[in-house]
Amino acid sequence: MADDDSFLHLARPLNPATIASQPSTAPLTVTIQPQALFSILDHASRKPQDQDRVIGTLLGVRSEDGTEVEVRNCYAVPHTETTEQVEVDMDYQKHMLQLHLRANPKEILVGWYATSSELNTFSALIQNFYSQQGDGTWPHPAVHLTLSTVPGKDIESRTYISAPIGVTPERAADSCLFIPVPHEIKYGEAEKSGLEVIAGAKDREDRSQMLQVDVESLERAIEQVLELLNRVSNYVNEVLDEEAEPSSALGQFLMNTLSLAPKVEPADVERDFNNHVQDVLLVSYLANTIRTQIDLSNRLATAALTMGGEGAPSTAGTGDGQKGNQNQRRTAGRGQNRSGDQ
Amino acid sequence: MAAVLPADAPVRQVQLSALVVMRLIKHSTQIFPTPATGCLVGMEQPKTATLEITNSFPFPASNPDNTASVTTSNPMDPYHQADQLALALAAPRAKGSVSYQNEMIKYLREVNVDAQGVGWYVSCSMGNFVNAAFVENQVFYQRATGEQSCVLVFDVGRSSQGSLNLKAYRLSKSFMEAHKEGKFTSESIQKSSLRYQDILIELPLKIHNSHLLTSYLHQLPNIPTTTDSLTLPTTIAEIHRNPSLASNPLTPNLDNLDLSIDPFLEKTLDQLLESIESHQTEQNNAQYYQRSLAREQAKVKTWKEKRASENVLRVQQKQTPLPEDEWTKLFKLPTEPSRLEAMLVGRQVEQYARQIDGFAGTVTGKMFGVRGGLVPGEGL
Repeated sequence: MADDDSFLHLARPLNPATIASQPSTAPLTVTIQPQALFSILDHASRKPQDQDRVIGTLLGVRSEDGTEVEVRNCYAVPHTETTEQVEVDMDYQKHMLQLHLRANPKEILVGWYATSSELNTFSALIQNFYSQQGDGTWPHPAVHLTLSTVPGKDIESRTYISAPIGVTPERAADSCLFIPVPHEIKYGEAEKSGLEVIAGAKDREDRSQMLQVDVESLERAIEQVLELLNRVSNYVNEVLDEEAEPSSALGQFLMNTLSLAPKVEPADVERDFNNHVQDVLLVSYLANTIRTQIDLSNRLATAALTMGGEGAPSTAGTGDGQKGNQNQRRTAGRGQNRSGDQ
Repeated sequence: MAAVLPADAPVRQVQLSALVVMRLIKHSTQIFPTPATGCLVGMEQPKTATLEITNSFPFPASNPDNTASVTTSNPMDPYHQADQLALALAAPRAKGSVSYQNEMIKYLREVNVDAQGVGWYVSCSMGNFVNAAFVENQVFYQRATGEQSCVLVFDVGRSSQGSLNLKAYRLSKSFMEAHKEGKFTSESIQKSSLRYQDILIELPLKIHNSHLLTSYLHQLPNIPTTTDSLTLPTTIAEIHRNPSLASNPLTPNLDNLDLSIDPFLEKTLDQLLESIESHQTEQNNAQYYQRSLAREQAKVKTWKEKRASENVLRVQQKQTPLPEDEWTKLFKLPTEPSRLEAMLVGRQVEQYARQIDGFAGTVTGKMFGVRGGLVPGEGL
């Protein structure tokens, strides 16, 4: 498992606020959607050779009072970093933000990410840039997400917000106090099916997986359930043979679950079963009938031309009609010229 | 069955990166039921005849220049829904979207993303994606990028029932040629012997993960294996609260063992009815055309006879005969309506029929299983 530092986040730092608004110090939590995470990983795998880390912008939504930030999307921003200075392409950042806002006006700028865990002066500079007035996330704090991408080690993700710190105001411009905030990666309901296929590829040599037909995935799901049931029944047998530790909580939980099985009359089950099977087969038959019907009608419509004798008036009419159209277009042109002369 | 891919096609398989799958799912489920459209970027691998898709981005569906419509359009108006739908479906080939796509690709190139548009994606519900806008978009893309483009269709309704339902299609060559000629009359279809089954070719799809992603997936908490030592829970509440069990993303997805038949059947029947209605409309149009054509033909015939008898009289009176073919100027014959829509309806119905067959297969299996479990002693 990745190493999670333990920390306690109780309040946001007080930023120098405007006169009218009351700054809120309620603690902040960040949720990240998996597709943003995958996008960052993808970007990390594309970084240029000479750079240690790559950065990009995080887009998402913020709750009304600013305590919940959800990161929904992200894009990469090219930057170059040397030991003395760092350059971030600000025009690129602005322009990409505009493009993304056109497609998704709700996802606004919420912060930035970097693909290495270290926090240095350059991080502070970039953080101040993202928190500033105008283009940045002011008055809300900018969220900084770091994702360590050292090959061979676990991937650690951390999120921070910042507070200004410095001995003098000039020093405060390029320094930052990074405050870790709790974050969570939320996997939505809809993404489960996608994640299943993606995760299915993780155990294979070539890291790829063909998309499966419904019947195959049904078979796999049934196999998984059977395996789980086998494990549970083995455990219960072991407990009965006094080979394993009993747990009254587990036993109770199992009993609750098993009691969920419905108690029905066999006759009712038969009747419902037959009805359902009939419904499904009926709709299937109907759909296939409609398909055949439409196929037939299309073929009849176009096949009328091939039969010479039958449907002759309509075929002759269609044939003449086509020629007539072409003639008519040409003579119409000439007719217009004639009327022009007159 | 969809037409078989010719053996010499330059692209025979489509490989997706996990990122594209996740972005597709997120975008489609976010604006369901409006169809989501967007662009795909990637590259082609000629050695393995694979089209690799590595990234995607959505198209802005609404026209950004048309600010007036924002104030006057009322979301409750049913026409507004239809407008949004039409706008969203036309987005891939709209001029604004093309320039948007070019700009995005230009910017993505600067961060080393593959900068080649290889197609577009669309989301649908229960398979209702075969319509004129879909075909137009794909024609537009296939003309622009040649053999390398494909369309990904993501079925939101069926994916929520269990397994991911994502398919890749391209238009067959015969259809592209027919479309180039522009008209789909009975004659031209007869000549090219184009059937509705030949319109779309399905491409097999594969999902491919990068190394970084694979190591991340291995790092996610897994369901405990038999070899792990377990700390047994002391209360039931502890079982419910255990985070590695409650919200584990990698727990087996058992949604496809769900036995809800009726919603699926209802929706499919609704869509079948819609298809039948459009088929009926097409039939009526064709018949109307036939009838008006016959009427015009009859009028032309009588006029011709009149003109012929006049000419005979004039020849007798030693006058120049009038031209016989003036009827072309006087009578306008109706044009035959395009049969493209009828073919698309046929293809759409076939799509529904195939879906239902697949569904029937899995559901009957499940039902027999449930019956075997509930009715004891049934030796099936």
